[in-house]
Amino acid sequence: MIESYELAVIGAGPGGMEATISAAGFGVRTVLIESYPQPGGQYYMRMPSDFKVDYENKTETAGRKLVNHVLKGPALKILNCLVWGLFQQEDGSWLVALYGENAPKYVRAKNLILSTGSYDTPVAFPGWTLPGVVTSGGTLVLLKNQRVAPGKRAVVSGTGPLLFSVAAHLIEAGVEVVALCEVNHILPGGIKHAFTMLKQWDRLNEGAKYMKIILGAKTPYKIGWSIVEARGQEAVKQAVIAKMDKAGHPIPGTEKVFDVDLVVSGFTLTPNTGLPRMIDCEMTYQAGKGGWIPVRDGDCQTSLPGVYVIGDGAGVGGAENARLEGKIAGASVAKNTGHLSPSREKQFRQEIQSDLQQQQRFGDLLSDLFTPPAGLVSLLKDDTIICRCEEITLVEIKDAIQMGARSIGEVKMLTRTGMGNCQGRMCEHTVAAIIAHELAGEGITREQVGYYSIRPPLHPLPQSFLADAVPEEE
Amino acid sequence: MFRINKSSDMLPAIQRGERVHLTVDGKPIEAYKGETVAAVMLAAGIRTFQKSHKHHQPRSLYCSMGICYECLVTINGVHAQRACITTVEEGMQVETCKELEL
Repeated sequence: MIESYELAVIGAGPGGMEATISAAGFGVRTVLIESYPQPGGQYYMRMPSDFKVDYENKTETAGRKLVNHVLKGPALKILNCLVWGLFQQEDGSWLVALYGENAPKYVRAKNLILSTGSYDTPVAFPGWTLPGVVTSGGTLVLLKNQRVAPGKRAVVSGTGPLLFSVAAHLIEAGVEVVALCEVNHILPGGIKHAFTMLKQWDRLNEGAKYMKIILGAKTPYKIGWSIVEARGQEAVKQAVIAKMDKAGHPIPGTEKVFDVDLVVSGFTLTPNTGLPRMIDCEMTYQAGKGGWIPVRDGDCQTSLPGVYVIGDGAGVGGAENARLEGKIAGASVAKNTGHLSPSREKQFRQEIQSDLQQQQRFGDLLSDLFTPPAGLVSLLKDDTIICRCEEITLVEIKDAIQMGARSIGEVKMLTRTGMGNCQGRMCEHTVAAIIAHELAGEGITREQVGYYSIRPPLHPLPQSFLADAVPEEE
Repeated sequence: MFRINKSSDMLPAIQRGERVHLTVDGKPIEAYKGETVAAVMLAAGIRTFQKSHKHHQPRSLYCSMGICYECLVTINGVHAQRACITTVEEGMQVETCKELEL
């Protein structure tokens, strides 16, 4: 017997939690599914319950309150559980396929709110597969939640404000940060957004704290510089950085070499869109939002009626934006399932509209200033591994293009890029950039290069589980 | 690579969970309840978690959030477990660079 719900919310980060609280609060029969053992997502990730800590900052307090709110609420919570597939039934409802120790194999839902967040945009460079090259998000999780430093001497490189947070936390942990590199030439663009920034007191305050630590440690903040190579045999031993032009090409002769055991790579975030792709939501390419994102209406509803995508998974906009979108999508489902009158939904919307607009302006600032430049593909050498899982190099991808591949799907078929464990999450950004770069002369754009199609299972699963996963006839 | 024991504004002191007994490739490693397998390995200075299957290159933790599958290790005989999202347990036996026996 498969349990039926009016709504399944997938992903319990800031957006998914708010969507659940909002929909279930209006009386929608809701199930919330999360891959981690606790709600919170990356942003509100709690310290392990076995650790004792007698201090929490503002973000942690807000996160704890939201997590407790959702845990006490009426929605069913299925934690520690992966969603590996979504299958639409004849009546339009969705069969949500689950993999988790204490989870049912399936739940059924009339509506879906997908809140699967984002991950660090994996930018390839020579040596990026060496132990000791870690993403900025990964570094922060280790420092903040595990209290383990992944190195002693580091170069932090990428783009965007998260770099300040990573560098400041590393320094506070006792790691020597020898260079903090921002690849974009950010000064001129920043001025026009000064007004927007002034409305973001909390963020400014946080940024100022980070800057104080970074300046106090005399860490060089290098604007227009980037990691160009990580060197070593068994692990990172050296980092090479260089001055970059505005398009993101290294300027020859500017290289500097540092002895380090850690390179933190933080080139902003990419929306995690595996589920909307799997069910063929219409997608659009928005470089400033992190890449391919689902097309949505004002209610955060996709091209498929009853399927909503919220938060970073619909375009990187941060935790506050995700929370507001969660409220909107939750109320929209409540309206469409008859739990909330259209006039009350309108009133609910009006209360959060101005907050949402402010968050969107901040999102626009981020995308204007901090998109990884296309020229970074020029860092790659013929033997650089691009697809980590299947170990496909640049020259193999170039060969496939020579043979006539014009889209990322065709490169995948010819080379196996994107067919390994990570399902293409780690190489898609770079493979697409390579194709667009190689075929720029033919006028091929990133939009035309396309995206990897995603099919179930979304994550690697034991075959013994899959063999047993066919739903029983009812 | 080290456990952060000093207290600072950004990273105030914490108390880790009870000591857990665990081995990596047969050697006993310092570990505490609440820690992930990846965290205890890094704190012990172990950097190579697996070797890539084609070129046998060393691979390690990259994303630390369970999506890149670069930190795969064998845990209690079960192949291809993500060290970054697996919490340590008493008596756990972790093996690195173990080829899948078919």
